[in-house]
Amino acid sequence: MSVLLDVRDINTYIGQFHILEGVSFEVPEGEIVALLGRNGAGKTTTLKSILGLAPPRTGDVVFEGKDLRGLHSFDVAAKGIGYVPENRAIFGALSVEENLRIAERSKGDLDRKSELIFGLFPDLKRLINLPGTNLSGGQQQMLAVARALVPDNRLLLIDEPSEGLAPVLIEQMMDAIMQLSDETTVLIVEQNFIVASRLAQHYVIIEEGTSVVSGDMEDLVNDDDTIRKYLGAA
Amino acid sequence: MAYSGGRSDVTTLAAPKTSFFRRHAMFIVVVVVAVAFPFLVGLLDGQSPADVIASEGGNSKFLMGLAIEVFILAIFALSYDLLLGITGLLSFGHQMFFAVGAYGTGIMLQSFEWSLFATLIGVIVAGVLQALLFGVVLPRVQGITFALVTLGIASMFWIVIQSPELGDWTGADVGLQGTSAFVPEWINTNDHRYRFYLLALVVLVFFYLLYRRIVESPTGAVLVANRENEDRALMLGYNTFWFKLFALLVSSITAALAGMLWAMHQPIVTPTVASLGWMVAVLLMVLIGGIGTLSGAIVGAAVYRLLSYYLERWFGGGASLMLGVAYVLLVLFVPYGIVGTWRLKKFQITDGRKRLVAMLTNRGSGG
Amino acid sequence: MTTTTATKPPRATGTSRWLKQNRGRLALAAFFAFVVFSALFTMDTNDWLITIIRGLAVGAITFLVASGLSLIFGLMDVLSLAHGEFYMLGAYVGWTIYVRPDTFLDILTPVALVLSALALLPLWRHVASRWPRGKWPRIITPIVVGLAGLAIVLFVFAKFPLSIWDLEVYTDTPINNAVALDQGVQEVPPPAGFDGISPLVGIISIWLGGALLGLGIAGGVERKAEVTAPLAGRSTYVIAATVAILGLVVYTVNDPLTDWWYALGTTPRFFFALGITVVLGFGLGAFVEVVFIRPLYDRLLYQLMMTLGLGFIIIEVVRSVWGRPAFTMPKPAAFNGTGEGCPGEGLGGLFSGCSTIKIFDSRVRLYNEVFIILVGIIVLVGINLIIKRTRLGMIIRAGVQDSEMVEALGINVRRVFTVTFGMGVALASLGGVIAAPAVGLSPGMGATVLLLALIAMAIGGLTSFSGAAVGAVVVGVMQQFMIKFGSVGIPVPWMEEPFKPSPVLVPASVILLMIVVLLVLPHGLFGREE
Repeated sequence: MSVLLDVRDINTYIGQFHILEGVSFEVPEGEIVALLGRNGAGKTTTLKSILGLAPPRTGDVVFEGKDLRGLHSFDVAAKGIGYVPENRAIFGALSVEENLRIAERSKGDLDRKSELIFGLFPDLKRLINLPGTNLSGGQQQMLAVARALVPDNRLLLIDEPSEGLAPVLIEQMMDAIMQLSDETTVLIVEQNFIVASRLAQHYVIIEEGTSVVSGDMEDLVNDDDTIRKYLGAA
Repeated sequence: MAYSGGRSDVTTLAAPKTSFFRRHAMFIVVVVVAVAFPFLVGLLDGQSPADVIASEGGNSKFLMGLAIEVFILAIFALSYDLLLGITGLLSFGHQMFFAVGAYGTGIMLQSFEWSLFATLIGVIVAGVLQALLFGVVLPRVQGITFALVTLGIASMFWIVIQSPELGDWTGADVGLQGTSAFVPEWINTNDHRYRFYLLALVVLVFFYLLYRRIVESPTGAVLVANRENEDRALMLGYNTFWFKLFALLVSSITAALAGMLWAMHQPIVTPTVASLGWMVAVLLMVLIGGIGTLSGAIVGAAVYRLLSYYLERWFGGGASLMLGVAYVLLVLFVPYGIVGTWRLKKFQITDGRKRLVAMLTNRGSGG
Repeated sequence: MTTTTATKPPRATGTSRWLKQNRGRLALAAFFAFVVFSALFTMDTNDWLITIIRGLAVGAITFLVASGLSLIFGLMDVLSLAHGEFYMLGAYVGWTIYVRPDTFLDILTPVALVLSALALLPLWRHVASRWPRGKWPRIITPIVVGLAGLAIVLFVFAKFPLSIWDLEVYTDTPINNAVALDQGVQEVPPPAGFDGISPLVGIISIWLGGALLGLGIAGGVERKAEVTAPLAGRSTYVIAATVAILGLVVYTVNDPLTDWWYALGTTPRFFFALGITVVLGFGLGAFVEVVFIRPLYDRLLYQLMMTLGLGFIIIEVVRSVWGRPAFTMPKPAAFNGTGEGCPGEGLGGLFSGCSTIKIFDSRVRLYNEVFIILVGIIVLVGINLIIKRTRLGMIIRAGVQDSEMVEALGINVRRVFTVTFGMGVALASLGGVIAAPAVGLSPGMGATVLLLALIAMAIGGLTSFSGAAVGAVVVGVMQQFMIKFGSVGIPVPWMEEPFKPSPVLVPASVILLMIVVLLVLPHGLFGREE
């Protein structure tokens, strides 16, 4: 299995704060990898560093063999990386359809993907003309993920997909992500270990800005010591 | 929203804690030079120190006049740096703080015929009142909206000050003339320029040290916190409103006193000092020197005044255009102002040296 | 700009909730309506109607400037305080194309050549980004190269054949030129020739000067670059070539083209001037954004200072080229007729070519009132369509909310910034050209309009485009009523004589209006929480 994304010892600063102090890991193609760790460990910053929203000062990010160093975030995204931020960042002033259309990179992307998207999130079809602000939190979350599916993305960066969702919606979201991973590679940040363990095949734990442990999820699930040490109580 | 000009580093880069004299060596040298300067010029001109003190006409007196303007503008710029650079409060009405002091002095000395001391009290009171005026709107409006409201208030003042109805007091659109003649002879800029020069210098030094003290105090820390991230400061339990009001009060009184000195020195107080152009001037001075650096305000005022003076002498009409081009270039290429860039480079040098030492002795700090 | 999209509670039915949420807006609307309608009792109905119409016209001009300002501010967080000067520049350039098209054509050639060289900026950036790192190649060389290029351009430009007015000779000043056109006695000025150099040398050297300048600018832009900038696409070369060819063609046919242009009536001349100025405005705006605003991305205060500085420079340039005294721009013939059949009656009067038409018994000026308001409405509708129906508009609307997320979607937000800034300046220029025949030209005209536009934006909501329209109308109408009260007076119960606000009080009252609105509604009428 080839490596789709290779993050090599990145150091990221936000202002004068040294947030990431050497994060390294690999994301194999076609798999789901979970970034785990406590609050404030640097998981979201890692995603932003990959995308170029918080460019690393040192270190490399290699995607499909190409170095992403020095690229603006729109160039990075255009290479086929989709992003679902923690705050969803839905455009409230735009309708649901416009939120999806704006994500198109080639004309007609949405039309080609509509079967997939509305198959995963049927509710969105019903809400298609409503402005983004009218959607509930859960619906916005779905829209945010759906938006990342519109163009042909080879890698999806999803920040806290289950956060704030009612259990029934979490199930729906997990189904959607699992279906997605057939076609796309997914890197998720997830505080909810149960969700992370069911979704991901691999994991990387970030602690105080450094990647400390990584490996296969099936090993981690039985490793209570590691779980307690880095993720708090299991 | 608080404005921090992008990088917060330069203000919080404090020098290491050595003795007072070492830390402020540069400053002390500058003050000593400033005190001696008129005599040096006099010597070059063939005047004895006694001549200089007697305010004999000549290069020394003239350059002292120019320097006095620089000192006054420096005080004005300092006051704005406290507001914008330290507290992060963007105001477009600062010119009014100055103008109230200037026009107020003119009116109090000429029309009311008050004594100098009474005028001083009056100016301070005016400073307090105008700070309260701006402070009152603070809870309602933030960020750029606050800036627009202050612009509105100051613009109204500018319009009112030029209205013919008040012409007897303010000189309408021509300006208020002759206030300097009402200044008592012992401190009058025309009769005893060196004394006035020292007065302006002393006031500048006083405010500079006062501001330094404020910035290095706990209150100053809260002001900087407000500039960096007001929400976080609020969450930490600080009622930022009172701190902002404090900054407004100090800043306003300072600017008003600068205006008072201006009226005492200049032959005429024109409406320009209440105009947006004056606001742009002080903003420029603070930016040239480096926002939030305090000493930058002084440097900026000097650069601004001297640059505009010499450009006018050399280029006459074209001076304005050159000044405009100079601004634009400075804004583009000197991002942290003169003092700011210098401090940053100094930090990079010391930081670099530390890292080099660490690497060589394998103590492994950083990296 | 990033906002966290809060989830709103579902809208409860019931007017009481709506009333409560909008009480600020309703209070202000009520106040405004009160002022406007109570004025009816203090003046003649005709006067009242005319004042409102004039207010709408002032509002239309203000809107043209404020709309650009609000688009730029909403999307880029940059308050373009140079916008008043862009408006003024639009007026002056429009005047030049209208009254002295020969000057325009003469300037077109060298400017087109320089622009063609500058249009190859992507190529220069590619070259500059390949220079080795270090102080000499990256900082000193671009400065030297750029200054050399600028010097060459300026030097050769002065040698180009340029027929222009002479500020020192009264009969050749802008004032006189305008009067001559108005009276129909304008003659085609004699053509100029190259001064001391051959045409070929002049043409080639100015293009090379532009190339060096472009290289210098590119060096400045790329001085911190880590990667090589991409090679210029085909479209860049096509654009550069087209512009150069345009310049050369205009040079070749300059004389016959000038004769043809002068023979046109004032109306076609006016509309040509309008169209060309708007296009030039867009170009200038895009240029300013890329060169002056973009490098200061993320440093809002410096961007603000930059716009102030640019505005200042524009005033100085205008003063030195067109002189300080105010002058006029004659109205085009289609709006200026007198004599038989004038004033026109009712709606048919719109095409009568008369300078005034009668509506409801009052005389309204066709140009100052009707045409200007019409343009304002067309622009309002047009821009609204662009924003609501095009992809660009969609990106702008999204960018106003969260430009970082738009970037994360793979959209080159910076290019959208450039286009938006260009649009904003184009609108301001349009405002200037439209206003000039009505209010004349002076170096101070920009400041007045900027103040009104800022007030309009503040009232309407700084980031709201439709708010800018509403704010502009409010400002315009209030201003005109205050002026009217200056002559008619406001009857105040406790005073015998009606109170007549002096001319000084007019701007003061509009400012006071802004302060009151902002204190009641800190985000303006339609602004959103930031």
